[in-house]
Amino acid sequence: MRVLLGLSCSVLVACGTIDDRPVTVEVVSLEILAPTCGAVQCHSTTTRLEGLAFDTLDEAKASMRRLRVRAGNGGELLEVIEENEMPPDSPMFENDIHLIEAWIDAGAVGL
Amino acid sequence: MRPLHIVITVALALGAGASNAHAYPQYQLARDATCTGCHLSPAGGGLLNENGLGVAEAESWKGTDPTFFYGASLPNWLQMSGDIRGAVGAVGNGALGGAAYPMQAEVIASAGARGFTFNATGGLRRPQEDGSPAHVVWSREHYLMWQQKPGEVEGMYIRAGRFMPVYGLRLAEHVAYTQRFGGYPLYGETNGAAVEYVSPRFEAHATGFIHDPIASAVEHGDGVAGYVEVRLGEHAALGAEGKYASDDDLTRTYAGITGKIFIPGADLLIQGEAELVHQEVASTSRTYNQLVGYVLASRPIAQAWLLDVGGGHYTQDTKVDGNYRDCIDANVHWFVTSHFEALMTMRVEILGSGPTGGYALAQVHYRL
Repeated sequence: MRVLLGLSCSVLVACGTIDDRPVTVEVVSLEILAPTCGAVQCHSTTTRLEGLAFDTLDEAKASMRRLRVRAGNGGELLEVIEENEMPPDSPMFENDIHLIEAWIDAGAVGL
Repeated sequence: MRPLHIVITVALALGAGASNAHAYPQYQLARDATCTGCHLSPAGGGLLNENGLGVAEAESWKGTDPTFFYGASLPNWLQMSGDIRGAVGAVGNGALGGAAYPMQAEVIASAGARGFTFNATGGLRRPQEDGSPAHVVWSREHYLMWQQKPGEVEGMYIRAGRFMPVYGLRLAEHVAYTQRFGGYPLYGETNGAAVEYVSPRFEAHATGFIHDPIASAVEHGDGVAGYVEVRLGEHAALGAEGKYASDDDLTRTYAGITGKIFIPGADLLIQGEAELVHQEVASTSRTYNQLVGYVLASRPIAQAWLLDVGGGHYTQDTKVDGNYRDCIDANVHWFVTSHFEALMTMRVEILGSGPTGGYALAQVHYRL
């Protein structure tokens, strides 16, 4: 059920607009974390700041596992995002934070 | 400041920064009509030619000898230079933190004769925390080039090797949205071959490329890139750009336009770039579109001083309300000597949904 929910549901974001992106590991990794966190000077395959890279799907999955993301638990990833510690100079969209939260709540499918 | 924030800031201070030196396109149209008016490469950036060295001397406060190591004796077949850059200041995403970025330490060389040259740019980059120590030393660019008319600013060029495919404005600051989110990212060099033509009225660049399978790369895909720019009269230019790259995760198609206009009476150069980025996720076939734009106005404000004011827009997904960001940038350049530049760079970033971010950094650049 969680799988179906995770793959098919849309996210109703807090500001009231509909975000109809699918709640999948691909969207979380490639559409959110890659452009937001995977810049070359930060968490990229090239630089690996803190040993993390988010600029490819496989690297993003590995980095999220390293940050102890799992079903129902956002680990250090959500902790630094929700407490506004990361990204340090270019904040993350609220819609994206809500989608990551929804994906984790739905079982972090695909991780 | 929270402990984690301190750790992250210190990590940044120990070497997260990355950049590389490019031309100052602010001089284009205002000073010289093409990148090759000042640079050896048809893409701009890197080694300066005789005219470029003269500009560096004339535009600086203390016009020191602009040549490599102030006149180091080199054989006629060899030209060398280098860049050292770093920045320090404050970054913020709603809460302020300190940051320092050792950005660049590279040597550039070009060797050859009769139109054939081997060109290389290499040096140090930030060590990976879980990688080999050898990762620190690398060659960012290394390519063979044939130039139809050696020593002249126009003609055909053919390049093969590792270099950055020419695409768009190629602004000096890699944080410009069109470079951060568009088709000309920092460290986006690939292995490829290019056919290029540059003249004062027209330039065209076409590159076929594959990603670097050895050195960790920013461009993970294989594809093609092209850029055409036409001068409109003495003080304006219009360009079109396109890029296609496909990797295991994504297929990306970029298309955009550029424009430049120099207003002589105001000594003001305005240049802009707008791109549409179409992405398709390989594993799900989902497609989405992004919009990226940047406008930069540049004006000398005194001898050796240059002011840039820029504005950027980035829509991460055109179908999602609120997922866009805008920025206002200001850069103040002080060309202290022919080799040394001090730069104050500032940004305020406003999101469609989320807090406001930005930075204020003092940057120094020493050209060998």
